[in-house]
Parts: sequence; structure tokens; C-alpha cells
Amino acid sequence: MAFNFLLIEDDEIERLKFARVLQKNNYSHKLIEAENGEDALQILENNELIPDIIFLDLNMPKMNGLEFLKILKSNPSLKYTPVVILSTSDNHSDLKESYETGIAGYIVKPLKYEDYAHKIKCLIEYWSVNEFVNR
Amino acid sequence: MSSNDIEILKRALSREKAARKQAEKILEDKSKELYLLTTKLKSTNQKLEDRIETKSSELQGLFENLVDAYVLMDLSGNVIEMNNAAVELFGYDIHKERLNVVSLIYKEDFTYAMNSFAKLVKEGSFSDYEARVYTKNRGIKTVHINASIIKDKNKKPVAAQGIVRDITDELFRQRSFEEQQKQLSVIVENSSLGIVLSQFGKIVQTNKAFQNLLGYDQEELLQKEVKDISIKDEYTKAAISMDKMNKGEIDHFTVNKRYLRHDGSTFWAKTSVAAVRKQDQSVKYQVALIEDITEQLEHEKQRDLLLKKLEKSNKELNDYAHIVSHDLKSPLRSMNALITWLKEDYQDVLDENAQQSFDMLLKKIDKMDHLINGILKYASIDKSDQPKQKINLQQIVADTIDIIYIPDHITIKIDTHLPVIKGDKFRLQQLFQNLLNNAVKYNDKEQGLINISYTENNDFWQFAIKDNGPGIPEKYHHKIFQVFQTISDGKESTGIGLSIVKKIIELYEGKIWIESEQNKGTTFFFTLKK
Repeated sequence: MAFNFLLIEDDEIERLKFARVLQKNNYSHKLIEAENGEDALQILENNELIPDIIFLDLNMPKMNGLEFLKILKSNPSLKYTPVVILSTSDNHSDLKESYETGIAGYIVKPLKYEDYAHKIKCLIEYWSVNEFVNR
Repeated sequence: MSSNDIEILKRALSREKAARKQAEKILEDKSKELYLLTTKLKSTNQKLEDRIETKSSELQGLFENLVDAYVLMDLSGNVIEMNNAAVELFGYDIHKERLNVVSLIYKEDFTYAMNSFAKLVKEGSFSDYEARVYTKNRGIKTVHINASIIKDKNKKPVAAQGIVRDITDELFRQRSFEEQQKQLSVIVENSSLGIVLSQFGKIVQTNKAFQNLLGYDQEELLQKEVKDISIKDEYTKAAISMDKMNKGEIDHFTVNKRYLRHDGSTFWAKTSVAAVRKQDQSVKYQVALIEDITEQLEHEKQRDLLLKKLEKSNKELNDYAHIVSHDLKSPLRSMNALITWLKEDYQDVLDENAQQSFDMLLKKIDKMDHLINGILKYASIDKSDQPKQKINLQQIVADTIDIIYIPDHITIKIDTHLPVIKGDKFRLQQLFQNLLNNAVKYNDKEQGLINISYTENNDFWQFAIKDNGPGIPEKYHHKIFQVFQTISDGKESTGIGLSIVKKIIELYEGKIWIESEQNKGTTFFFTLKK
């Protein structure tokens, strides 16, 4: 089963890291990248591709992750798309606000790439055995 | 001589006899009358004498027992008579010694005494003479004298008498009363507190401070009632307490209220009102102390504002620390990823030297990450505003020992079962974790020993964490608690752990200090307020 992932992340290397995990594990999932929330909304509105899972960074210029999340959750057709936060911050208030708005997971980005690769792999494998509303 | 003549003579003689007899009879009667009268007079006289006797003995008694001193003197001042009270007052007794009043006159009052005496002789009396006198034992007394002149039947002055009253004590009491009154009025007048005496709402007395506060003078204020210088609602509120006081339910009360100045402006004042009661407990006056608290309120306002600002900037600083450290961590993650990829992708090309350099780079990145984590923790120590809870330290420390990595050759022992104290679990755990971590990490002995114990007094818990590590040179005993100060060059030390420890202890109003012997070990002592 091949997923469509939407990765919303302003840092180029973070985007490279995600792509590398997919590539190194020979996953056939499709990755769409957006540099910030506005870009992501653009992509979603254009109906170019409906993502199965959204990976969202919180700390971004222009529209930040939480703002994007709120807009997404108020959209009747998009609100069922699971969102997993990829954040630097394990700040309690960030976590709380995210879960309150509605997320499917919250990953704190580790320092080491190996740890990161491991976490992403676990995530993808977890979602591979899940059922989705929109599919 | 003829018989006729004789006859005439005889008759004349008998007439004379008869007349004489009659005269004798009259005389006899008169004598008798006189006798009776004399007898009567005698008895009356006796009666009178008796009465005089009685009167004068009565007078003598009165004179002797007169409470006031009585002195009778001739016009040269020689005392002729004095009563017991006078003897007692002056110390002299003229029945034993001579006394002239001039010797009694106090030196400074001499002229006054002489003038008064001249006036006495001229006018016949004086009253309310007040002067000082010497007593026999050289004491000084103040006396009050009313005096009058005694004249003989020719209206010639022969003596003077005086009633003398000792007013020394009375005068002293009066003076000290006046003195007290003066002191009191000095206090009242110079008090920086406004003081008002009121009687059922009417102003009866005010002091300078109150007049200045309101901008009225005393006369203007005496025309006013308390409600005239109050704001209506506040007056009504205070009137409730006033009513309670009048009923005797309370004796005093304090209220913060505003007063209206002459110029129409107002000021806030703390007003303390107390009741002055009559014997029957009903209120006679209300005394109010008025303290202008405008400035105080202004200060409080400013303080609150400052506090809010401080809270805000503190929060900003905390947020700032978080944002900065997250922003700093982001490039570290990228660097780690890139180096890892270089190592992976060019495994075949890179020689051992290059691989080693990359490993060292990764370690430096790791250390940088540690540092940033430390800063984050340091910044968030006083951020958590958890309410203080009962914390079982024995449990917390046992948990902490489980968490930290303890090599086989090191033993941690809790010597005294740790108490339950009030605090924040996260902080207390952090505190013990950092100290134990250090004790474990730097231990250089074959058999590492770490002992935890505590004692307590009324105010503090005092804990000791003792190790048998390398010891800390004395010159570093203070330095080690400062942020980023580390005395080891180990890759793990960031110089933040102990500064976090110190910060936590200071949050609990405690102290930390160490005792250390080179190569034998270190004991960290710290106190936490109960």
C-alpha cells in the first residue's frame, strides 16, 4: 500500500531527512513537500493530490503549524486526515494545544539522524496497518 | 429756848425720824432690789463667763485643729501664736523657740512678700498671696495665704493673722498635669497623622496635620460635620461601623476612605476611629487618626504595575530561552544528519582519519545539544508554578537512583530514611538527580561510595550527599555553582547541573555548601525550608 504524504516543513535539510528515510527503506510512498502552511493550503485547495497523512512542523515562518492545523480541522473534507506533528519543542503548552486541536501523533525531532530515521520508520509502519476515513 | 421751840424741834425731829425711817425703808427696798439685781447679774455674769469659757475653749480647739495653718504675729513679724498645722508646715514651734516670719521668706520672693505686707497693713487684709517659704529643715514650700490685720479699740493695728495653706503638692500636680497636657498637645500638633475629635458626627477638635491635609483652618472645620468632608457612599459605609461602636459592639475600627479638600479635590486616607467613653459606657467622643495613603496607594499601584511588567518580561525571557534553544537545536540536527550521511554515503572513500574527524564532530554536536538542553532546563526551573505538594523524598530519591546510570563499582546508600516534605516533585527530583549524577560520574575510586542522609531543625531540612570521589579544590567551592562553570574537561559536563541545583535550593529558601578533601571525597550539604 502506497501512501501520499504531505510534509509541511520550512527547513530544507529536514525535508531531505524525511525523503532519505523513505528512499533508504525503499518505501514507495509518495512525498509532497510544502515549505509552510500557506503553501500546504494551496496544494490542498488545488486538489493536486489528497494526502493520506500530513506531517507538520510547528515552528514555521508566515503561517505556523498550529494555525494551519486549526484551518485544516475546520474544513469538513480535510478534517479526517491524520496529522502528525514533527517538532523541536516538547513544550507542554504546544503539546496540549496540538492535541486539543486534533492530532494523530506528536514526534519530537531527535538530535541524531539515526534516531530520527528510526522514529519515522516506526510511524510509517504504524500507519501502514491503520484504516483511513478518506481512502 | 421755849417749850414751843422744843415742841417744834421735837416734831421736826419726829418728822425727820419718820422721813428717815421712810428713807431707810426705801433704801432698804432699793438695797434689796439692788441685791437681787446684783445676784441676778452675778449669775448672768457667771453664765456669760461660762459661755465665754466654752466659746474660747471651743475656739481653742478649732484653732488647734484647724486643717490650715494659722499664724498670729505682731507687726514686726514676730509670731505670737501658731496652731498645730502651722507647726507642722513650718517646722518651728513658738512654744519652744522664737520665730520671725521674715526668716521664712524665700529669697526671690522677698520683694513680693514685703509689698504684700505693706498692702496688708494699709488695707487691712489681703487674699490669695502665693509665695515660697523656707521650712526649718531648709525645705521649700509654696504656700497660699489669706491675711488680715487686728486692731485695738483705738483702731490702731496691733497684729496680723493669716491662714496659710501648703499648695506645694497641688502646684506640683497642676504643673505636671499642665506639662503632660503640653506634651500631649505637642504630640497631637506635630503628628504627621491628622487627628480629629468628633462628637456624633460633629467636628470638635482638629490638629494641624488634619487642617493641612484638608486645606481648612481650625475655625472652618469646627463649623463642619464629618459627612461634609466625606464622599457620600464611603461615609455611609463608615457610619455602619460607627453605629456599632456607639452601641458598644466594637471599640475601634479602621476604614480606608476619601476626604474632600477645601479646593474640591480628594485624597485616600486610612482612618482609625476609637471611642472615648463616659462612665456609663456611652460614647463621649470619637477620636479619628487620619493617614494620607495616596502615595502609598500610588506606590502599590506602581509596584503592581512593575510586578506585572516583571512577570511579563520574565515570561518573555523564558519564552526567549525556549525559542532560542530550539532555534539553536535545529541547525545541530541538520549538522548531525549531514555528517551521518557523509559517513554513510562515502564510507568507501573516507579513510580512518576522516571517519575519526567526523565522529569527533558528532561528539561536539552532541555536547552542544547537552548545553542547550541544560539552558532550557535552567530557564524552566522557576517556570513551573506547581502548587507545593507533600513529596515522599525517600521514594523520589529511590526513583532517581533507578533512573541514573550507576556502574557496578558504585554503591548509593540512603543512611537515614528520607522525610516527606512539601515541594514540587519535578524540581526535587531534578535536584537529587543532578547531585547524584555528579557523584557517580566523577567518582574515581575502585569502590565508589555515595551516602545520602539528613537532619532537621525547626525551620530547615538539611541534607548531605557524601561521596568518596576525587574531591573539589577549595578555590572552586563557589565557582562550581555558577552557570557554565565546570572544573572537569569531560565531554559530559556543561556547567549547568549545579547551577540548576542551586537555583532549586534557592527557590526553597535554602543554602548549599560543600566540604571536600582532595582525593578523599566531597560532601554536598544543602538545606530546604520547611
